Amino acid sequence: MFVDAETIRLLWPEIILIAMASWIYIAGAFQPHRVWWTCFSLAVYGVVAYVLLGTESTMWSAETALVGISGPLRIDFLGFILRCFAVLVGILFTLIGARGSSRQLTSEFLATVMLLVAGLMLVARANDMVLLFVSLEMISIPTYVLLYLGRRDRANSEATIKYFFLSILSSGLFLYGLSFLYGIAGTTTLVGMMGQESVQAAAAGFVQEGGELYQAMAPIALVLLMAGLGFKIAAVPFHFYAPDVYQGCSNANAGLLAVAPKIAGVVAILRLLVVAMPWAADIGWQLAIVLAVLTMTIGNVCALWQTNLRRLMAYSSIAHAGYMLIGISVAFAFHEGTSASGGIGATLFYLLVYACASLGTFAVLVALGSKESEVSGLNELAGLAGQRPALAAALAVFMFSLAGIPPLAGFWGKLTLFSSAVNTATATADNASFAAWFTLLAVAGALNAAIAAAYYLRVVAKMYFRPAQGDLPANGGLGAQAAVVVCVVLVLGLGLFPRIAVQVTHLAEAAVAPVDPGSLSAAAAPLPRLAGDVQGSDDASWDR
Amino acid sequence: METLVLPVLLFVVCAAMLAIGMLAAGSLIGPKRNTAVKEMPYESGMDPAHDARRRFDVRFHLVAIAFLIFDVEVLFLYPWAVANTNPAGLAAQVGLSQLVVFCEVMVFVVLLTVGFVYAWRKGVFQWR
Repeated sequence: MFVDAETIRLLWPEIILIAMASWIYIAGAFQPHRVWWTCFSLAVYGVVAYVLLGTESTMWSAETALVGISGPLRIDFLGFILRCFAVLVGILFTLIGARGSSRQLTSEFLATVMLLVAGLMLVARANDMVLLFVSLEMISIPTYVLLYLGRRDRANSEATIKYFFLSILSSGLFLYGLSFLYGIAGTTTLVGMMGQESVQAAAAGFVQEGGELYQAMAPIALVLLMAGLGFKIAAVPFHFYAPDVYQGCSNANAGLLAVAPKIAGVVAILRLLVVAMPWAADIGWQLAIVLAVLTMTIGNVCALWQTNLRRLMAYSSIAHAGYMLIGISVAFAFHEGTSASGGIGATLFYLLVYACASLGTFAVLVALGSKESEVSGLNELAGLAGQRPALAAALAVFMFSLAGIPPLAGFWGKLTLFSSAVNTATATADNASFAAWFTLLAVAGALNAAIAAAYYLRVVAKMYFRPAQGDLPANGGLGAQAAVVVCVVLVLGLGLFPRIAVQVTHLAEAAVAPVDPGSLSAAAAPLPRLAGDVQGSDDASWDR
Repeated sequence: METLVLPVLLFVVCAAMLAIGMLAAGSLIGPKRNTAVKEMPYESGMDPAHDARRRFDVRFHLVAIAFLIFDVEVLFLYPWAVANTNPAGLAAQVGLSQLVVFCEVMVFVVLLTVGFVYAWRKGVFQWR
């Protein structure tokens, strides 16, 4: 459990980020220069990416997808791809947001984003309750600061305070759930290796040996943890802050809120609830199904009549949390003895796809605004295709991807999720209620995708088929435009060549969940089978 | 048992006598010139009974945050300082070498110093 030199070596990327963030705070107080510090922090992300890829390049083969445990860290492929993605998210935020904050506070913005990215990277590989909680707070606390830095007006202050209090409440619930979990298991290690006690093993022993108290406490722990993490991903009973907060804060910060807590929340759910608490999976899959259906439906239906773009995207992000919960419930059900799997991989793939499209949308909105005025009304986009054809096309790509229109990444995301639910239903055909629930889940998901298309296409129609009402400043800076380009490339790339990403996410699933290859390829029937060569280049065989 | 109770008892008696003595001395030999302001309970220069939504100077807030930096520092450094050289302390309990623990504490101090330097540069300590 205790930290040794090996653990420190594995933590170099995070250490670099935190040290450089401290340096930017201090030195930025002496010399606030926007462009210089933006370039500096981009260089830091470059160094971190180099270190990350250099030290863990051996991850890229199926044999070493799970390396092991060092101190409170779990070194596996899931953590690796999420850490790489966290660095990418950091670069995109830096590009999107550096222009927005006032000139004096740019260094604060950049350093705070850096701390947030360090928190995301720690969540991705935390294998200990305490580290998981601390790293979730390392995401929450910088988020409060960033929300406040975004703008200086009443609406923004209200949004910040609202987010602050609700986030604290969710942290409290999460911590309370952790205390129950610790009470059941008697250890803080989530998943142990040989000879190492873990929540998974210790609690499973207690629960099966009959202790009635333990059996009664397992659902309490699960529900409390789900509630705490549900706030982070804006799942439905805990979603009500999202529309108000998104609407109140700046476009760049809304993008941050739509992506960073969602990545952290989904990963924490996968690591803590799905993988480490298989003994609570019988309640887990039911809870996740109910939450998924509610979240998708409420998010999509409420989004239909929004006229504020950030509010629309808030409901959209709620709905996408619902889609991800489909994969989570499939992953829970896997522990309940269904032979089908693919839930974790589908969730991860969807998470990446959603994050790219969502960040891209907000990057377009930032690029369309200027320092003085922000784009917020849906009507402001009218006639955009004539004025700014490139940005309008980019926004259309992101909207189509979020809606799940075929050649784009969002389609493959939805396909993998829904097919994982269908596969669970067919694999459990002998258990009628099980099969019925997962069929219902897949049907609800498909119906919701149709509802969602209505409001995404409304945005596109506004841009292309309505006369322009006024000229948008479109002075959001070079950074936001660069971020738009990166996101377009990612969304198109993942859409045209989904094979590599799907394989990568399945490798990540194989690293955390004990999957035997036969069931995996059966579950992922329309998907490429998990092979040793991740960089397989025969995309032509990937039948669309 | 007596050895534990006796000093505590002595402490309680001394404390009570000190408090009573100071109050008594004040009321016996102190000058008595009462005004309305002096009759009020003391609460850091604020009106003790007022509307809850009262404004107060934002500089108090900054001072409170700067105070927190040092308060948290003491909170962690004190137990470490006591446990560090104690033969039954950290090194003995969890098998970490004193050097490692020292380095970890120094990381903590450096991070707090970052906050301190930042606050200083931003002019928190100038009472403008």
